[in-house]
Amino acid sequence: MNQQTIVEIRHLEKYYGQKQVLHGIDLDITAGQIIGYIGPNGAGKSTTVKILCGLISDFLGDISIFGKDLRTETLEIKKQVGYIPENAVLYESLTPMEFMLFIGEMRGLETEITRSKAEALMNIFEMKSNLNQRIATFSKGMRQKVMICSALLHNPDLIFMDEPLSGLDANSVIMVKEMLIHLAREGKTIFYSSHLMDVVEKISDRIILIDQGKVIADGSFEDLNKLSNDENLEKMFTRLTGNTNHGEKAEAFINAFEK
Amino acid sequence: MIKFLLSLFKPFRWFIEKMGADYNQFIRILELKLTMDNRKMKGIGNNSKKETENALMKQSFSQIFFGVFFAMFLIIVKSPFTYYYFAHTFLMVMMAMMIISEFTSILFDTSENVIIQPLPIKGNTISLARNAHVLLYLSLMSFNLSVVSIVVAIIKFGVVSALVFGFTIVMNVLFTLLLANMLYLFIMQLASGEKLKNILMYFQIFIAIGFMLFYQFGFNMVDKTQIRDMILPVYWYTYLVPPAFFSGLVESLTSSIFDRQHLIFIAEALVIPTVAIYLTGKYLTPVFNRKLMDLEQGDRVSKIKVETARKSLWYRMLLGIFVHRKEEVAPFKLVWIMTGRERSFMQTFLPSLGYILIMIAVPFFRKSFDINEIIHSDRYILILYAFMFIGTTLPTSLLYGNNQHAVWLFKTLPLTSPAGYFKGFIKAAFARFFVPFYLVLSVVICVAWGYKVIPDVLIALMAIYLITMLFYYIQNPGFPFTQDKIATQGGAAFIKVMGLIAIAAALGFLHYFLLHWFSFAALLLIPVYLSAIYYVNRVLVYKKITWEAVDKANTYS
Repeated sequence: MNQQTIVEIRHLEKYYGQKQVLHGIDLDITAGQIIGYIGPNGAGKSTTVKILCGLISDFLGDISIFGKDLRTETLEIKKQVGYIPENAVLYESLTPMEFMLFIGEMRGLETEITRSKAEALMNIFEMKSNLNQRIATFSKGMRQKVMICSALLHNPDLIFMDEPLSGLDANSVIMVKEMLIHLAREGKTIFYSSHLMDVVEKISDRIILIDQGKVIADGSFEDLNKLSNDENLEKMFTRLTGNTNHGEKAEAFINAFEK
Repeated sequence: MIKFLLSLFKPFRWFIEKMGADYNQFIRILELKLTMDNRKMKGIGNNSKKETENALMKQSFSQIFFGVFFAMFLIIVKSPFTYYYFAHTFLMVMMAMMIISEFTSILFDTSENVIIQPLPIKGNTISLARNAHVLLYLSLMSFNLSVVSIVVAIIKFGVVSALVFGFTIVMNVLFTLLLANMLYLFIMQLASGEKLKNILMYFQIFIAIGFMLFYQFGFNMVDKTQIRDMILPVYWYTYLVPPAFFSGLVESLTSSIFDRQHLIFIAEALVIPTVAIYLTGKYLTPVFNRKLMDLEQGDRVSKIKVETARKSLWYRMLLGIFVHRKEEVAPFKLVWIMTGRERSFMQTFLPSLGYILIMIAVPFFRKSFDINEIIHSDRYILILYAFMFIGTTLPTSLLYGNNQHAVWLFKTLPLTSPAGYFKGFIKAAFARFFVPFYLVLSVVICVAWGYKVIPDVLIALMAIYLITMLFYYIQNPGFPFTQDKIATQGGAAFIKVMGLIAIAAALGFLHYFLLHWFSFAALLLIPVYLSAIYYVNRVLVYKKITWEAVDKANTYS
C-alpha cells in the first residue's frame, strides 16, 4: 500500500476517576479516507475524538498524528486538524464573522483571507445574510453551520467530526455528505463519529464499531457484510452490540403503560 | 475603549513573551473577551439576552459614582498615611468582593474549552490571557472607584502624591490577584468536582456575611472625629498588612521621608507585587489550568449525595402543614429538592439571612447595652419582625438560576391555571429554608423572654408568611431558577424594599401596640392574618398568576 498512515493509535486507554471508558484501542488511519466511527451511547466515541483533538490530555497509550507525537507536538498537530463538536458551543454575543475572524487569527491566517473564506463558506450554507447578526439569536442548525465553517477555515488535512449533522435540515445534510466525499477525494481524511447508521453506511470507506471502550468491528461495509450477511449497517450494529430483542423491549414498553 | 485598554499591554510585550505566550494570540483573546464583556448588561459571566454596546463604559460611570461616597468619607482624614491606608483597604475589599462574586464563575468556566482547546494555542497563552482579563477588569474597577479619591488627594497632598497613589493602585491590583489565585489553588487542593463547587459556594456566603459584619462593626462604630485626626501607629505587624506597604510608599514620596520604616514599606510595595505577578504567571496559572482540566473531567464521576430527606418525617410534616391541594404537591417537592442543590439560590438567600441576623445583633452591642433591661422590654418583637425582610429576598432568590431550558416542561403540562405551581414553589422554599431557621431563633427567644412569648412568635411567623406569599405573587412570575440575576433589578426592587420596610414597621408596631393594650389583645391578630393568608392563597394568587402573566415573564425555549 502506498497510502500513508496519518493517525496511529496504540493501546489507548482512558479513565474518568476510577471508571475506565476506553479499554485499549488500536487503530491505523490512512490518508484520504472517510472513517465512520460508530457505537452505542457511552461507548467512548466522543472521548476518543476529544483525545485526538487535544481536548483531553491525560490518557494512556500512544497516539501519533502526521507522524508526530500527540503529547509532545500538540501545537503542530492542531494546526492541521479541524474539529466539529457535537453541541455547537460558540461565543453567543459575537457575530459569525467576528467568531471566525477570531478563529482565523488564532490559526495565524491573514484577516482578509479569513474574511473571504468565511463569506464563501457561509454562502454555501445560505447564511451570508446572517454573517453580522449575533449568534445568540441563531437556531441549533444555524449554529452547527457556523461551527462547520469555522472548523474548515484553515483547510485542515484531517477533520474530526462528532455528530456533525445534529440539528441540520435535510438539504444541509445532503450538502455536508457531498462535501465530505469531495474533501476525501482531495486527499483529506475525515474521522466521522455518529449514530446515524444510514449516513455512515453511505459515505464511509471504513467503519469502526466500538462498544464499551473496545473496537468490535473494523473494515469497509462490504468487508463486514461478507462475514455476516446483515442487510444493512443498522442490523449489523444491533447484532454486534448485543441488542437483538428490540421487539420484546418495545412490547415491554407498551405493557408498562397498561399496568 | 477596548483599543485603549489593549494598548496598555504593548510596553509589556517582552514580559508576555518571556512568560511563554504568543503575543498576537494573547491580544486577540483579550480583545475577544473584552468585546463580549462590552455587550453584556452588567459585570461579566452573565448571559444576558439583551444586546448592548458599551456596557463597560456604563459600568465605569456607576463605579465612579460609587467612588464619590468613599471619597466623602476620606475627605476629613488629615494624615496622608491614614488616607491612603483607608483608600487601599477599601480597594482591596472591593476587589475581593468582585473576585468572589464575579470571577469565581469565570475562572471555573470550562465551557469555552471546546472552542479554544482544538486551536493551536499554547496553554500559557490562554492562562495568561485569562489572568490579564481579570487584571484589566480589576484595574479598571479600581481606577474608576478611585478617580474621586485621586482628585481629593491632589487637593490635599499635591499632584506628585496623587500620581504615586495611582501607581500603587496598580501594584495593589497585582497583589490582590495573586492572593486570589493562591486562595483558589488552596481550595482546589481540598476537593474536586461538585464538592469543590459546594465548598466555594459556602466560602462565598461566608465572605459575604463577613464583609457585612466588618462593615457594621468596623465603620459604624468608629467615631468620625477620631478618624479625622487619626494617625495609624506602626507596629512590627504593620509591615505585614498590604495596604500599609502602598500607603507607606505614597507617604514617603509625598512628605519626602526616607527613614528605615518607609524604606521597608517602599521595598515591600515594589518587590512583593512584582514577584507576585511573576509567580502567578510562571507557576500558579499552569497548575491552576491543569487543576481546571481535572475539575471538568472529575465532574463526570463525582457523585452527588441524594438526600433521603424527601421521605423524612420533617418533610412530610411541613408538607402536611403547608400544602392542602393536590396540584401543589409536585411543585412543592420539586422546589424542596432543588433549593438544596441550586447554588445560586443558596448564594443569594443565605447571605441575606445572615444580614438580617447582623442587623439584629448590632444594636445589642452598642454602648448602652444592658441585658436585664432588654429582657424586660419587648425588643423581641423587633427581632421577629426584622425577619420580614425575607419577604423580598426569598421570592427573588427563587428566580435566579441556569435552568432556562427546562421551562417548556411547565407549559406543556395540561393545567388550566399556573397558580398551583407558584403556590407550591414558594411554600417549599419557605418551609425548607426559613422555617427551621425561625424555629431555632424562636427557641432562643423563648428561653430569653419566657414561654409567654410563644403566641407572639407564631403571630409574627404568620405575618412573615403572609408577606412573603404576597411579594412572591406580585413579582414577575418567572419559573424557579430560570432567570438571569440582572434581569429583575432596578428601581422597582428599591420601591419594593421600601414598601416592605413600611409594612414590616406597621405590622410590628400594630403587634406592639396590641401587646400593651391588654394581655391577650395580640391574639386578635390570628384571625386577621389567617383570613388574609386565605385571601392571598385562594383568591389573589389566581388573579395575579395567570398563564398570560406567566407567558410574559418566561421564554419557552
